[in-house]
Amino acid sequence: MNWLRSSQMRKGLIYLALAVSAVVFIMPLWWAIISSLRPNDAIFRDLFPFSPRAFLPEPLTVEAYFGIFERGFGTIIWNTLMVAGLTTAFGLVVNGLAGYAFAVFNFPAKNTILAIVVVSFMLPFEAIAMPLYGVVQQLGWIDNVAALIVPSVANGLAVFLFYQFFRQVPKDYYEAARLEGAGPLRILWSVYVPLSMPTCISAGLMLFIFQWEAFLWPLLAMPAQEFKVIQVGMASFQEQYTTAWNELFGVAVITALIPIVLLLPLQRYYVQGLAGSGLKG
Amino acid sequence: MKRLTIPLAPIALLPALLGLALFRVYPIVLAVFESLFSTFRGERLFVGFENYILLLTDNGFWQSLWVTLWFNLIINPLQVALALLLALMFVQKVPFIGIFRFLFLIPIGVSLPVAVIIWRIMLLPDGLLNGFLGALGLPPLRFLTSPELALYSIIAIATWKGISYWMIFIIGGLQNISPEIHEAARLEGASSWQRLWLVTLPLLKPTLLFVLVADVTINFLLFAPIFMLTNGGPRNSTNVLMYEAYKSGFVFGDMGRAMAIVVILVALLLVIVGLQFWLLSGRRQGAAS
Repeated sequence: MNWLRSSQMRKGLIYLALAVSAVVFIMPLWWAIISSLRPNDAIFRDLFPFSPRAFLPEPLTVEAYFGIFERGFGTIIWNTLMVAGLTTAFGLVVNGLAGYAFAVFNFPAKNTILAIVVVSFMLPFEAIAMPLYGVVQQLGWIDNVAALIVPSVANGLAVFLFYQFFRQVPKDYYEAARLEGAGPLRILWSVYVPLSMPTCISAGLMLFIFQWEAFLWPLLAMPAQEFKVIQVGMASFQEQYTTAWNELFGVAVITALIPIVLLLPLQRYYVQGLAGSGLKG
Repeated sequence: MKRLTIPLAPIALLPALLGLALFRVYPIVLAVFESLFSTFRGERLFVGFENYILLLTDNGFWQSLWVTLWFNLIINPLQVALALLLALMFVQKVPFIGIFRFLFLIPIGVSLPVAVIIWRIMLLPDGLLNGFLGALGLPPLRFLTSPELALYSIIAIATWKGISYWMIFIIGGLQNISPEIHEAARLEGASSWQRLWLVTLPLLKPTLLFVLVADVTINFLLFAPIFMLTNGGPRNSTNVLMYEAYKSGFVFGDMGRAMAIVVILVALLLVIVGLQFWLLSGRRQGAAS
C-alpha cells in the first residue's frame, strides 16, 4: 500500500508540473488571441481588480483584424511569405545539390571543404549581420529584396542535413541507375530526392522559419522600409501606434499562427531534423 | 570510391560554396579589416588597433561587456536546466500526455519578436502580470523600466521563447538511451531519482553539452528583445555588447568601433565555446576512466 500511495503521489506531482508548465506556455498566446478579439478599451479592463473575465473574448469583435489590413499588413505578410518561400525553394535546390555532391562524388580536399561548411553554421547569423551589411552595400543591394533572399540561400546546416541523409542511400542504387544510363542529375532527381522527402521537409521548414523570424538583418538591409517584412513591420507598428493594443495583438497572433499552422502537420520532420543535427553534429 | 571526378561535382557545389564564402566567411574577414579603420570628417583612415585601444579605456564598453557576461551567466544554465526538466516531462508516459506535448511545442512557432510584443504588453505597469500581483495583494512591479528588473524580464521572455526549442534536442538525446539500461538499473533497485542522476544524466552529457554551446552562441548575440523593449536602458542595465555595436554603427555612424566590438564578441564567443568543450568533454573522459 505504501508503494501505491507513493506511485499515486508521483503521478499527481507529474500532472501538477505538466499543468503548471502548460499554463505558463499557453497563457501569453491565449491572452494575445483573446485581446485581439476585444475592443481596444476592454483589454486592460478586467485586470485591476483582476477577474478571470480577462481571459474571455468579451465583448467579441474582429474590428482589430480589419484595422490591421487597413494599415497595409496584408502586403507585409505577403512580402514575408514571398521572401521565406523563395529562400526555401532556392535553398532546397542549392543546398540539396551541394549535399549530393559531398555524398556521392570524390574530389580533392573534400573533407576540408565539408568541415568549413559545417563550421559556417556554428557561428550565428547575428554575428555577421553587421559586417554583412558592408558586403551587401558593396553589391549595391541595400533596400533591394535580393539582400533579404540571396545571403540566406546557402545554409551550412541544410547542406549538412542533405549530406548526412544522402550518404546513407546505398551505393548500389547509384550504380544500378548508372548502368541503366542515367546521368548524375537524373539519379539525384528520380532516386535520391524521392527517398529524402523527410529531409527535404525538415530542411525546408528550417529555411522557411529562419526567414519568417528574421529581425536584425531585414532591419539593417532595408533602412528605407519601403519593403517591410512582418517582424520589422510589427516592431515599427509597436513604436508608432502604441495605443492600438488590440491591433498590435492581432498582428502578433497572425505572425505566430502562420508558422504554427505550418509546423503542426510537419512537426515530426522538424523535430527529427533538429534532433538529428544535434546528435550527429 | 573509385569514381573519377565528374564535372557535375563543381557545378553542384559552386552555388552553395560561393554563397557561404561571400555571405558567411567574407563578412568576418571584412569585420576584422574594417575594425582597423576610422571615419573622420567623411574620410576613411587606417588607424590600426586604435579602435580597440579606445574601447579598452571606455567605461561604456566595460559596462556593456559586464552586462553581456552576467546575462549569459544566468540565462544559459537556466535555459538548459529548464529545457531538461521540460524534456523529462515530455517523455513521461501518462494519460493525456499528447495534449501537454502539443502545448509545450507552441513557443517554437512564436518568433522572438512576437514573444517580445506579447510579453511587453503583459509586463506593462497596468498589464496582466501586475493584475495577478494585485490579485495576490502585492504591489505592482516596473518590470521593464527599473534597472534592477529589466535584464531579468528579458531573461524571462527569452527563456519562455527558447526552452521548447532546446527541449527537442534533449528529447532526441533521451530517446537515444536504450530502455534496457533503465530496466537493468530498476532491477538493481535504483529509485527513479537515482536512475535520473546515475544513468540518464551521465548518458545525456554530450547532448547537454551541444545544447549549452548552441544556446550560448545564440544568447551571446541576443538583439531583438533589447532593441524592442529597452534600447539598452534603463541606466544601461540591459546594454549588451551586440546592442552597443549596433548603436555605434547604425546610430552614431562609427563603423570602426562597431566592427571592433563585433570582432571582440566573436573572439569571446569562440573562447567561451572552446572552454565549454574542453571543460565538459575533459570531465566526461575523467568519469569514464
